[in-house]
Amino acid sequence: MTEIVLPGDRISAAEELAKLKKVILGPGLRRENEQVVVCKAGRLNYKEPNAYWIDSYQQRYVPVRGDAVIGVVTAKAGDIFRVDIGAHEQASLSYLAFESATKKNRPDVNPGDVLYGRLIVASRDLEPELVCVNSIGKKGKLGVLTDGFVMNCSLNLARMILRENCPLLRSLTKEMPYEIAVGLNGRIWLKAKSLRETIALGNAILAAENASNEEMSKICENIGNILFT
Amino acid sequence: MSTKKARPRLSKGILEMKFMQRTKAKVDKEIEDAEGREMYSQEITQKMLNGNSNFIIEPSFMHCENLIEGRLSFRGMNPEIERLLELEQAERVANTQHEQKKEVSDKEMAKFFQAQQVTMQKKFQTKAQFKAKRNNFENTSWQSKKPKFQKPDNDSE
Repeated sequence: MTEIVLPGDRISAAEELAKLKKVILGPGLRRENEQVVVCKAGRLNYKEPNAYWIDSYQQRYVPVRGDAVIGVVTAKAGDIFRVDIGAHEQASLSYLAFESATKKNRPDVNPGDVLYGRLIVASRDLEPELVCVNSIGKKGKLGVLTDGFVMNCSLNLARMILRENCPLLRSLTKEMPYEIAVGLNGRIWLKAKSLRETIALGNAILAAENASNEEMSKICENIGNILFT
Repeated sequence: MSTKKARPRLSKGILEMKFMQRTKAKVDKEIEDAEGREMYSQEITQKMLNGNSNFIIEPSFMHCENLIEGRLSFRGMNPEIERLLELEQAERVANTQHEQKKEVSDKEMAKFFQAQQVTMQKKFQTKAQFKAKRNNFENTSWQSKKPKFQKPDNDSE
């Protein structure tokens, strides 16, 4: 479904469906009594069997629980680190939220470090909280990111890259080996073998924002040609 | 609760008696609750309290769009991450593994179980049932019911 909607539009399809079964309203939709109203301009998406949401262009990140984000440590304060994730408030990250961290064994994190963490508390009224361990207590893929290059992008680009059917990351891997961490707060961390490759990678990702799937593979090929010829 | 009779309001003297302590606490709590509800009755309507809706608000994009995890490594840049990715891939493949083709079809299994049922019935049948079957009685009540004990008439002695 590629319907463009504006704030204030009512989604009658969702309202009809809600009379029969439970409907999941994703970001961008609001419920007012029995009406479903759009509150962000963008494209209405529908997923079987009952999920609706709006895909819109946005640069400002609003913290959501469960999102994996890239943050920069700005300060140490008592038992927590203050991490900037690009939201309305700086997030707090406890010293103990790292693998094998104890009160005596502090983690090796300093102001200026880039980390990949997951939000466990994210609400309008509370300050966001991050952790760098998964639910079992293992590091998994979270933690401090060393070296590399962090760049900003729009939130929808970050989401687009992470979709299962997006060929961008796979086409880029044909050109060069690299490592990437995509934060849903619009920050992307890249690391490749040399400086030129890293910057080329960043440019390829930014150029792919408005490209279709075929154009994406062309962009990646071009980048590869320019770099290695 | 609506069928309960309206309770008479207990007087202050009775509530102050020692054996009425618990009831007093209950009555006081009820009065406070009613006060609280009255205060906010303009903002929290009965409809809000009773209404159940079929909408679930999901604030996260990850579940709506099935996004993959954002940390990836390709062609050996970070062996740890690549190993984790391989493990996850293996798990996903194991979950969506195709079902093995059945060697015995469903119909044949049903026939087999039915035949098994007949053999077990034959094993536990009574003498009467055996005789009835042997003589091909159409009356199936022989097979299921036990003859009921009939009291002899007192008159015919």
